[in-house]
Amino acid sequence: MQVAWAIFKKELRIYFVSPLAYVFLGVFLFLAGLFFYLGITMTGEASLRVMLGNLGVSLLFLLPLLTMRHFAEERRSGTYELMMTAPVPLWALLLGKWAASLVLCLVLLAGTLLFPAILAYYGDPDWGIVATSYLGLLLLCGAFVSAGLFSSSLSDEPVAAGLIGVIILLPFWIAGTASELVEADWLRSTFRHLSFLTQIEPFTRGVIDTGALAWFALFTFAFLFLTWRSVESRRWR
Amino acid sequence: MISAQQLTKRFGTLTAVDRVSFEVERGEILGFIGPNGAGKTTTMRMLTGFIPATEGTAIVAGHDVFEAPMAVRRSVGYLPETPPLYRELTIGDYLRFVAEIRGIDARDRTRRIGQVMEQVGLSGWEKRILGSLSKGYRQRVGLAQAIIHDPPVLILDEPTSGLDPAQVAGMRDFVRRLAEDRTVILSTHILPEVELICGRAVLIAQGRVLADDTIDGLRRHAGGGIRYRIELKGGDPSAIPARVGALAEVEQVTPLEPDQGFAVLDVRAPADPRTAVARLATEQGWTIRAMERHVPSLEEAFLAIIGAER
Repeated sequence: MQVAWAIFKKELRIYFVSPLAYVFLGVFLFLAGLFFYLGITMTGEASLRVMLGNLGVSLLFLLPLLTMRHFAEERRSGTYELMMTAPVPLWALLLGKWAASLVLCLVLLAGTLLFPAILAYYGDPDWGIVATSYLGLLLLCGAFVSAGLFSSSLSDEPVAAGLIGVIILLPFWIAGTASELVEADWLRSTFRHLSFLTQIEPFTRGVIDTGALAWFALFTFAFLFLTWRSVESRRWR
Repeated sequence: MISAQQLTKRFGTLTAVDRVSFEVERGEILGFIGPNGAGKTTTMRMLTGFIPATEGTAIVAGHDVFEAPMAVRRSVGYLPETPPLYRELTIGDYLRFVAEIRGIDARDRTRRIGQVMEQVGLSGWEKRILGSLSKGYRQRVGLAQAIIHDPPVLILDEPTSGLDPAQVAGMRDFVRRLAEDRTVILSTHILPEVELICGRAVLIAQGRVLADDTIDGLRRHAGGGIRYRIELKGGDPSAIPARVGALAEVEQVTPLEPDQGFAVLDVRAPADPRTAVARLATEQGWTIRAMERHVPSLEEAFLAIIGAER
């Protein structure tokens, strides 16, 4: 656990001493502001629904870029050799990296709290809905970070790893649209459930849905497991 | 302390390391020499557990590399070919991180970091960013990282590559001091280094061990041993080789091309034969122009052994 904590602190430090975290914060807040404005002017209601839904899609493209360096860069710079020859269990490495990226996501999300604050100034937003919405986004971040780690373990080239990450995540977005194009009911329902937008939707209504919680947990653990397998198997090549 | 048995590593159809076996005793400094691409790095990576061997076993500090990898990782300090540094971090933050993952007690960390920084000559450099360091300083941080947990076994992959001559000398002294209570394997292709630091060397080329001996032994192995070049003139030049060869101290005489009337001899002898030759020359009234003792360098031994393989 101490080792995972050390990895966690190191990853977080690297995020914040490099310009990366600040660039992300800037881009993310800009997008959030844009969606907030559009949401309010287009629907005329004082809610965060539009902003939060669109931020989910933005995260799909942004988070793989945030996590792409984890394994790819370590392998390229040779620090991977330190990780694999120091007494660092693989689970500690994964946990440390995953948690550090999630904390960065928390910082990004915390930045957008500005918008509910603006709403509160002019109106009376439903704080329960705001809370569950943010919970949904955080779960989404955990899931996407996990997939991002997996893509990073696949390539030595950070940029390639980032692109692979986006490609892995895209089907979970497109599935929602695809569900409206298929005839068979069972296929439509499968596609609908695959889409992360379907899963995050109850949270934006103030509902904590157990099915959705299970979906995010499964997604996160499945990709952490794949990362673990991928790192292990690459050692043998 | 270290024992490699029939270590083999194949990458697809390429055999990078082919049944390599050797032993290293406690307190010994073993030089790992060989041309680039010989399999030195791959062998070291197998010893540290970074990559698994295709076949064979290795015991490091009493633990099997494949069965108890974590125990091996704890007892080994490893400096890879490229120092494993996070460019974004400062020296201090980096060493603190390594101390943490190496499980050094929180109360001892600061003291230990100060100690190793002083040992490698980095005192006062805590705040420097790793990405801004020159090659020599990066190498020092790499070494500090390898010794921070005071490991009984040190594996150093080309510790002097990219250093200037003064730094090389410093590194040499440092490794020698480290080895007083440790076992060290270091790889290099700079042979004078091995001659100065190591008691013993394993010569490896194309993945195979060609020689495993003390430095003197390697020289002998090369077939040369110590030779003497003797140049004499007087009387019948063609009779000189036979007269010298008849001396009890001399093992073998090979006449070389005569030079300006001097007979030039390549003499092999178990002990220095020069006083005997001088006595003979005085008796015969010969002129002595040269009597040189030639100790083959490890370089020559190295080339001779590799040449014989090809």
